[in-house]
Amino acid sequence: MDLKYCNVKDSLPLFSSLPHNRFNYRATRHLVASSFHDFLNWFDDRAWYPLGRIVGGTVYPGLMVTSGAIHTILHALHIPVHIRDICVFLAPFFSGLTAIAGFALTRELWDTSAGLMAACFLAIVPGYISRSVAGSYDNEGIAIFALLFTYYLWIKAVKRGSVAWAAGTALSYFYMVSAWGGYVFIINLIPLHVCVLLLMGRYSQRIYVAFCTFFILGTLLSMQIPFVGFQPVRTSEHMAAAGTFVLLQAYAFLKYVQDYLTKQEFRSLFFFGVTGAAGAVFLGVVFLTYAGYVAPWSGRFYSLYDTGYAKIHIPIIASVSEHQPTTWASFFFDLHMLSCSFPAGLWFVIKDINDERVFIILYAMSAAYFAGVMVRLMLTLTPVVCILASICLSKTLNEYLVDDTPKKEKEQGEGEEIEEETEKKGRKLYDKAGKVRKIKPEPEKDSEGTGNNLRGFVVIAIMMMLMMFAVHCTWVTSNAYSSPSIVLASYSDDGTRVILDDFREAYYWLRQNTDEYARVMSWWDYGYQIAGMANRTTLVDNNTWNNSHIALVGKAMSSTEPKAYEIMKMLDVNYVLVIFGGVIGFSGDDINKFLWMVRIAEGEHPQDIRESDYFTTNGEFRVDKAGAPTLLNCLMYKMCYYRFGEVQNSIGYDRTRGVEIGNKDISFEHLEEAYTTQNWLVRIYKVLDVSNKEKVTNPTKKSKKKKFSSKKYGQVGPTLASSDPFPITIC
Amino acid sequence: MKSSVKASVAILILSVLIALYSIGHAAKSDGNKKENQLGERVKQLSDWGSKRAVIKMNGDKYRQFVRMAPRNYSVIIMFTAMQPQRQCSVCQNVNDEFQIVANSWIYSPSYSNKLFFASVDYDEAPDVFNAMKVTAAPSIMHFPPKGKPKKNDVYDMQRLGIQAEVMVKWVTERTDIQIRIFRPPNYSGTITLGVLMLMVAGFLYFRRNNLEFLYNKTMWGVAALSIVFAMTSGQMWNHIRGPPYAHRNPQNGQVSYIHGSSQGQFVAETHIILLLNCAVTVGFIMMNKNPISEGDVRKRRVLTVIGLGLVVFFFSLILSIFRAKYRGYPYSFLIR
Repeated sequence: MDLKYCNVKDSLPLFSSLPHNRFNYRATRHLVASSFHDFLNWFDDRAWYPLGRIVGGTVYPGLMVTSGAIHTILHALHIPVHIRDICVFLAPFFSGLTAIAGFALTRELWDTSAGLMAACFLAIVPGYISRSVAGSYDNEGIAIFALLFTYYLWIKAVKRGSVAWAAGTALSYFYMVSAWGGYVFIINLIPLHVCVLLLMGRYSQRIYVAFCTFFILGTLLSMQIPFVGFQPVRTSEHMAAAGTFVLLQAYAFLKYVQDYLTKQEFRSLFFFGVTGAAGAVFLGVVFLTYAGYVAPWSGRFYSLYDTGYAKIHIPIIASVSEHQPTTWASFFFDLHMLSCSFPAGLWFVIKDINDERVFIILYAMSAAYFAGVMVRLMLTLTPVVCILASICLSKTLNEYLVDDTPKKEKEQGEGEEIEEETEKKGRKLYDKAGKVRKIKPEPEKDSEGTGNNLRGFVVIAIMMMLMMFAVHCTWVTSNAYSSPSIVLASYSDDGTRVILDDFREAYYWLRQNTDEYARVMSWWDYGYQIAGMANRTTLVDNNTWNNSHIALVGKAMSSTEPKAYEIMKMLDVNYVLVIFGGVIGFSGDDINKFLWMVRIAEGEHPQDIRESDYFTTNGEFRVDKAGAPTLLNCLMYKMCYYRFGEVQNSIGYDRTRGVEIGNKDISFEHLEEAYTTQNWLVRIYKVLDVSNKEKVTNPTKKSKKKKFSSKKYGQVGPTLASSDPFPITIC
Repeated sequence: MKSSVKASVAILILSVLIALYSIGHAAKSDGNKKENQLGERVKQLSDWGSKRAVIKMNGDKYRQFVRMAPRNYSVIIMFTAMQPQRQCSVCQNVNDEFQIVANSWIYSPSYSNKLFFASVDYDEAPDVFNAMKVTAAPSIMHFPPKGKPKKNDVYDMQRLGIQAEVMVKWVTERTDIQIRIFRPPNYSGTITLGVLMLMVAGFLYFRRNNLEFLYNKTMWGVAALSIVFAMTSGQMWNHIRGPPYAHRNPQNGQVSYIHGSSQGQFVAETHIILLLNCAVTVGFIMMNKNPISEGDVRKRRVLTVIGLGLVVFFFSLILSIFRAKYRGYPYSFLIR
């Protein structure tokens, strides 16, 4: 755990002491400023304009409530900490708790030394660091802790068969439900565990007590979250748990009847009883689904099972990079040596099985499948990989570090031995960070016998690999996960770092120069940022619940200017914001995302938008002269490349696409350029009011005038910004 | 009063209609012959269409039904080469999907004489291919009721793919006719599953006196590990994205098995990684106590050496492959 905090310090974002997820932060501020009930009833008119959003009913409140509670407690103790600092440091704090929960879980499954090792792995593994760096203020940060802690309590409950532990499991489950939609994983994995135990003939009273208590309490508690509501009894995702519950009752009843019957009678009754119950449950669920009492699998979950589903039917899910399948390289990137050592741990666990180890096996296999389907679910796989890899490595190390004197070992008590190991393991793990004492165990062994040379080699090799792992984790953390997404850093040829602060520049401009109630249209990726940092109303944001609204924005972006103007007037838009990376070669800009906008728009408006119109005859997507005319004249293209032909020696060379742009003669009728940031990364346009009819009589004069004025305006912008450096703390 | 007005209006409308009809008739009498011809052709086409969803065409039929001027129907033609000696496996796949589209159309409630599906085989009518300047098979084209096929009337298979759902979308785009895809349920998967279940059940039944093997942990362990290996080596990515097995450089004919970037991978590469992962895991298992080395010190030592070698060597191999893929990754272990 020491490593965790040193890593956290490493990764503390230099530039912004601000939470990355702007929406969560805004909601938390609202919660702290008002009461809990106010928060639940909060109608956010700044998002999803003109629809608005009922935040209390469409959000998992666990994250906000947690930081709000910490804030309240600290203030009750007269420690005046700003809510912002709590939000920033919540993720590292919870990853510390995750490490402790991982330790406890592994200790229940294997032994203490493996537990310590698992905690150390969890503290530094890149797959989890991505969500636990300071400043990442996401649901997943606290959800992984809740997940592991729930599993720990469940294992305890299964072992003891006590109502108290099972009730604890349900409470922890409640916390998980309040924090993250991934709770569905728990409510399916635990019933699966129970089912497999039944199949293996490992049924016992303990399991009955644990599951029944957990299921009843957990279901009731989870329904208290407004966003979840009646889902636990009305959707297919939760039906596995209910079915298992019924099956378990039938099984328990038959076991009870067993005492009153002869063996022969019981055998047939048991067989038919169990198959009958299972069949009845299955048919019941199918019937209820058909009758409409139970909603079928929602698209998001169905796409996990049928992997081609989302690609055809839900482009908005397929468009998110986190929802792509996982390559082996990203498995290795996130898990390093754990990815090839944890199968060995799985093997040892299977070879030495008991009730609770069945659980970790099921967890490992299901999580491995989900992680393979979606990069994002790597997060749920990471803890189990840490646990199993620690079992493998600690077992191996035990073999080669400890039991070198078989005679003595038998005399010594078990408990003592474990303590001794623990101490050694602990020291070993700090060794790899310090790189100082790694050879120390070798000479001790050397004197004792011939086999000890070999032992030394094994230990050294494993230590080396662990060191590689630690170094890898540090590298990944400092390179991939610690830079705040809002500030881009690039390296120039001589190695100096250039900071591109265009996003904050643009948001600051919006804050200072636009009306407080101005509506800003942008693609949904930037919704939370605009709402949080610029404090302006947005049309769509990262909560992608309303597909048709997003499609409307996509349609506006991909239509010609007059048509887009109609839509924008309909939606009452004042400003349009686009991200353009062509000047500096930033590849995550709107032109590269543009095809998804077209696809999503086409899904809702197939008559007006056709994806094929945006490709050349050869089926290529190009922005140069050979590009499709529809593309060269759509609003997004025009907004990105407006006046682009005039810079860089009038070539108009797009550095991201590596081509000279095709349409340099761009003028606007209903829009005017309001602001462009220093590196052209963010461009903001003002939507003009409907022009007066009289002016139309003299069109040439009007357009001249407008061009001139917009140019002037555009020049004023950047100079203003450069003279006014952006303050680090806003909000 | 009211009724009389109504009656007079009705009479007026009727008379106007009759007048219109007679005028139209007079004008049409000139093109009557053509009209009849058209009617016959439509009848002929729908006759064929009712027999088989995709009408096979040769050069004559093509000219008569697709190219001849007055048409009031669209024709979607698949240009293909289905003869076995052509060895066109894509043609078969496209044909399957095309059949699904055509069948869905025939059985759809909105079926009409406005749209027909047809296919032209290169070996039966090469002249059609030449006339339309079709150079590649399979390709799909839409012939609108009026005029010649335009740019968008050629189905872009490269980009859109060959799935029936996408094809239907394109058809709707071109003809404004909505078709709901009815895929004949794919029983092959279900049947395989059923046969497998039956085999397992039968196996269990015949071995019912000796079910010990179900408690064989090695078997279960191997099964669990193979799932995990398949996932961590990115087989799911292969399944979804369908990458090539390996890449052959067209210039020098060199075959590369490893994809150059960390964003992609070849099938061969994932198999290599799967084996390497396996080797490391086996190494770890060998280093630990197991029944093979039980009691025998020398055996144990040999196994340990082999296990250690496997772990160290193959782990560093994985690391070096990763390093090659991930630009700028600084670390390596034993092998560069």
